[in-house]
Amino acid sequence: MKELMIILFSAILVDNFVLSKFLGICSFLGVSKNLKTAMGMSGAVILVMLASTALTWPIQIWLLDPLGLGYLQTLVFILVIAALVQMIEMVMKKTMPPLYNALGIFLPLITTNCAVLGVAILNITKSYTFTDSMVNALGGGLGYTLSLFLFSGVRRKVDKADVPEALKGLPITLIAASLVAVSFFGFKGLVENLFR
Amino acid sequence: MLKVFLQIPESLANILVPGAVVLGISVLLGVLIVVVSHFFRMPVNEKKEALSAALPGANCGGCGFAGCDGYAQFLADGGTDTSLCAVGGAACSIELASILGVEAKIAERMTAQLLCRGTSGHTSARYEYLGTQTCNAAQGLLGGPGSCTYGCLGFGDCITVCAFHAISKKNGIVQIDPDECTACGQCVKICPKNVLELLPVSAKVAVLCRNTWPGAQTRQNCSAGCIGCRKCMKVCPSGAISMTGALAVVDQNLCTRCGACIDVCPTNAISPL
Repeated sequence: MKELMIILFSAILVDNFVLSKFLGICSFLGVSKNLKTAMGMSGAVILVMLASTALTWPIQIWLLDPLGLGYLQTLVFILVIAALVQMIEMVMKKTMPPLYNALGIFLPLITTNCAVLGVAILNITKSYTFTDSMVNALGGGLGYTLSLFLFSGVRRKVDKADVPEALKGLPITLIAASLVAVSFFGFKGLVENLFR
Repeated sequence: MLKVFLQIPESLANILVPGAVVLGISVLLGVLIVVVSHFFRMPVNEKKEALSAALPGANCGGCGFAGCDGYAQFLADGGTDTSLCAVGGAACSIELASILGVEAKIAERMTAQLLCRGTSGHTSARYEYLGTQTCNAAQGLLGGPGSCTYGCLGFGDCITVCAFHAISKKNGIVQIDPDECTACGQCVKICPKNVLELLPVSAKVAVLCRNTWPGAQTRQNCSAGCIGCRKCMKVCPSGAISMTGALAVVDQNLCTRCGACIDVCPTNAISPL
């Protein structure tokens, strides 16, 4: 149990996928403009991270590794994640229209999001068990949510500020994002000691 | 194991096995997608698709709905007003009506008009404004730096919001190109001074001023403002001009486009468009 909590909190805080590992930046910058789309996007990311881990971990451990085909990981994972997201979108559109209206339009955006692929690959690299991997995926999604919420607040302030002409738009957004990322360095060493 | 079973050299097996695995997974996923798409098919609303195709796709929100898709949904659900799209204009309204099988409503072509002539030559600044250079921000500070608080501030919030590049800055105020303007109404909504209005393209005159102050006070602050002398109201043959405080207002529905008011206005506040 303690190991699972450590995995969960390090995925959310210390090894935050967006702010510490710099994965999923393009969707992060694109969707953080307002809070409502941020909520929809984070919901979609959590769902897809969990579903893709549930599929890719067994494929790696029970199909690719026994056949010595570990090097096919990237190709097979992308195939599986893309197909999975398509199917989730189709099922959601028909069976859960309110949920589809809330976050369905974001699903194509995260089909090849590197954060989703990153979770899948990192689970294998860190030799996690299945439960560990699912918790890591949940933590990754929650960490993405946290960083999106924080950054949409920061962006609203930046929008109202007097920015020099040369930095207007994307440059100041990236600078702001890097400053937020630096602030997350403060979490290093926190998680291991929390659960001691 | 495959190489032992079929007596294939190892190098060939090293190509065949991964190839077969990837091919197998792709085929399996492809089949799965087709099966899922069949069982979870949504009924395609053909009417809505046709309506969406007929709309210009500018997603300006001028119709009042969330993008062109929103308007198409409204019409597909039973809405009958096909004239709401100012960007598509009459042609679009006719096409939408033919898809729906109703009579087309043609709205008169409108354009946005700035009701202010207070350029930097006519007005002065009350203070030096060093804040955020947007109209909405400047309006928050005592109504902006212009000497007339009814007039255009010229920072261009309307320019930022215009999706058709119809507005530009000129001499401290803005000007609108009626050929580019689609009357979507976004500039009217965002202007904090309410100094932009949608007028018919066929309109010939308008009072280019919103200032209701008495004449003497108006003259102090802007040399192009309406002083409320009522000369236009007296000379108008159709009674289209009325007064709001010390400001003349032209009713475009009653105006006969005779132009008599233009000659008598001492400040040229009432101007040909």
